[in-house]
Amino acid sequence: MSQSAIAIEKEYALKAGFLFNFSRYGEWQNLPDNATSFTLCSPDASFINVSRSVLSGRKVNNLPIKNVEIAVTTTDLAQCNILFITADTVEPWLEFNRPLLPNVMVVGETDHFIEQGGHIRFFLSGGKVRFEVSPDQLKLSGITMSSKVLRLGRVVNN
Amino acid sequence: MTLSQKCLLLFILISPWVAAEESLGDLDLDLDSLMAMDVQVTSAMKRTQSAFETASSIYVLTKEQITRSGATSVPEALKMVPGLAVRQLDNNQWAISSRGVASRFSAKLLVMIDGQSLYTPKFAAVYWETLNVPLYDIERIEIIRGQGGLLWGSNANNGVINIITKNSIDTRGLYADVSSGSQLNIDTNLRYGGDIGNNGSFRVYGHVKDGQKSSKGIEMEPADFSEQQSAGTRFDFTPNDQWSGLIQGDITQSTLGQNYRGVVDDSNRNISFTDSLDRTDSRIMARLDNRISPSANQMLQTSWLKQSGSQTYLQEDFQSFDIDYQMNFLYQDLQFDWGLNYRYNSISFADSTFVQSDGGFESLHQYGGLAQAQYKIVADKLDLIVGVKVDHNDLTGWENQPLARLVWKPLNNQVLWASVSKSVRVPSLLEFNDNFLIDGQRVEEVSPITTGIPEIDRYYIRTYLNGNDSVKSEKSVSYEMGYRLSDTTWALDLSVYHTDTDDVAVIQVNPNIEQFLPIFAMLQAGQIDSAIQALTTTSINFDLVSNAELTTEGADIVLSWQPLDSFNAELGYSYNTFDYDLEDNTFPAIGFDSTSRQIFAKADIHFFEQHNIFAALRVENSNAYQTDSYTALDLTWNWAFQPNWTAAIMGKNLFAGSHIEYGNHGETYTRSNYIDESVTFKITAKF
Repeated sequence: MSQSAIAIEKEYALKAGFLFNFSRYGEWQNLPDNATSFTLCSPDASFINVSRSVLSGRKVNNLPIKNVEIAVTTTDLAQCNILFITADTVEPWLEFNRPLLPNVMVVGETDHFIEQGGHIRFFLSGGKVRFEVSPDQLKLSGITMSSKVLRLGRVVNN
Repeated sequence: MTLSQKCLLLFILISPWVAAEESLGDLDLDLDSLMAMDVQVTSAMKRTQSAFETASSIYVLTKEQITRSGATSVPEALKMVPGLAVRQLDNNQWAISSRGVASRFSAKLLVMIDGQSLYTPKFAAVYWETLNVPLYDIERIEIIRGQGGLLWGSNANNGVINIITKNSIDTRGLYADVSSGSQLNIDTNLRYGGDIGNNGSFRVYGHVKDGQKSSKGIEMEPADFSEQQSAGTRFDFTPNDQWSGLIQGDITQSTLGQNYRGVVDDSNRNISFTDSLDRTDSRIMARLDNRISPSANQMLQTSWLKQSGSQTYLQEDFQSFDIDYQMNFLYQDLQFDWGLNYRYNSISFADSTFVQSDGGFESLHQYGGLAQAQYKIVADKLDLIVGVKVDHNDLTGWENQPLARLVWKPLNNQVLWASVSKSVRVPSLLEFNDNFLIDGQRVEEVSPITTGIPEIDRYYIRTYLNGNDSVKSEKSVSYEMGYRLSDTTWALDLSVYHTDTDDVAVIQVNPNIEQFLPIFAMLQAGQIDSAIQALTTTSINFDLVSNAELTTEGADIVLSWQPLDSFNAELGYSYNTFDYDLEDNTFPAIGFDSTSRQIFAKADIHFFEQHNIFAALRVENSNAYQTDSYTALDLTWNWAFQPNWTAAIMGKNLFAGSHIEYGNHGETYTRSNYIDESVTFKITAKF
């Protein structure tokens, strides 16, 4: 792999790591009892490739993580527990009518993502990944986030 | 077991816990680790990316070590770094260096806070006693032992200490602590941080310290109390993912009692006296970072530093203005970094009874550039790094500092590195410009004949140490090699070095024998009173000359072990020799031929969820400081008795008793005291 490819993937790798922690420290109120995996979705194929490699063998609540590339459609989104909309795939998300997605944690990385219906938004500060989070919007989707994560992020209140 | 046997045992065993460069599939997914990682592969060079792959002898003091150790100042925290000579002169003065002999006023060590240099061209040293950085807001301290000249500029021959403070987004909320103990009346800190809209954050902090004097002096009653107040702030702005900026400022006012030596009367002798000094130290820094692409970034930093000191025999005012630009990018297998810098120093130093300046330098300019290329000869296996720093200063003109390094990764968890580099130390302004009155020399010591008249033979002649503009820059060539191994529960970091330095400034005695001839003539004519009178107008000169060679060599080895999340330990051993090659009639200006050895052992233990014990033991064995060897244990117990409250009890210098860490009293000006055991209590609140 060339260094330039590593340069691009490093940011995705870190963000995949954060998503893993959001999964560990989030509480989904209505997850089905018979779930056999925890599903991380993104419409971005290159992100899913990185995430697959970074999160390989990891588990959330004893469920193996499944990394799935999806299309931004109601059917595809229904299978997700956590959804990451990258800057490269935000257009279809914005064009989608964005109904409230119960039990899906919606994470993005573009400006105004939380105003656009997201729950968590990554940003960079001093070369490091940081995030802002809306606990209120998470709650509407039936998810609560541990204070361990909330205190590290910038809390956005509606 | 002798010390050398103990050292051998440590060699067989094994250094700081260095973070291994992770392949993407092997990232440490702990939330704190992720928050500490740089997104950029090409992060600004003045930030270390991966200590594991750095081709120099680097040690990273982590925030956990700093806070758990119970250190109350940066110099105290630096005591934990294997390979650093950290000698406490008294309750507020320090001598700190690496790979050489630490002196209060010359260290050849570059110290920075977030890349802002604290180097003073007057003394070539740092006023450690007035350096205020809130320890609870330090992200980490990176210590490079040995040559750091390429990335950091001149005068980093012996090492670089970069104190990196936390982004204010990570210090939101209230923090307060208060400490008191056997050496400390009170030391209290307060910080508050918060968001500024959605794109920024800030913190403001203040600090008050009232420290006691030592309990026992050497010949003199100690007077080393400290009264210090400081305040500071930092703002970080992140308008978007491509740009970020920060502005920070800090002001510290100190009143420090100290014992001195100096020639202040007609006896021509060094007199010990007690005085207090008032200092005001201020600094402001602003930085703009721009991420041009995932593989390129640039940084512009500007800063201003002002240090004013006032005491009976010295009035000084030093200011510096720095501007730095750096760009880093990656193109296929080549990483390229380049930068430009400019520094303006303004130095006002009132002549005093024992220091006079030849004048001519009230301001100094320095400017230059650097370029460094890192090329992957074999992907993931072998890297070649070549670079050069070229800069111009007003004292010695253009200087260049090239380097070449090789980094070989035979396996993913092993790194072998080697480097050859040249570094330059520009003379301090004191060496170049000033004349000191030093302890007088007796006639019988310098005159070829003695008279048998005690008033004459034992008369102390006025003696000057003269800096002069023929002092050259010191040029060092360093050969370094290192090996790192990182396993799941343990890590090894070994480095060895050999440095040859030419044009080293030493002191040449010039007794000027001819001046005694008329005095002998008067004596022969029986005019004893006239002869004594004539002696009062004679003087002896000690001149700084750049004609010595110096060899330093040694090794640092650190073994880290972390069998459990709740326990980690570290063992370190450092060895350093300092060997002058002198011409006749000269003697060293800084340090003397000596050998220093250190053993470090640290343990950090968590138990019952709320409890933590941090222990650091150091064995110091060196003949460079005219002191006995000593073994000191610092032991801190932290107890988080409420979710937001922690109590700590810190024992420092345990076992060492009342000991002397610095005994080089031949040096003009400096006077040390006994360092005591101490116990301190601390309460911390975080909301």
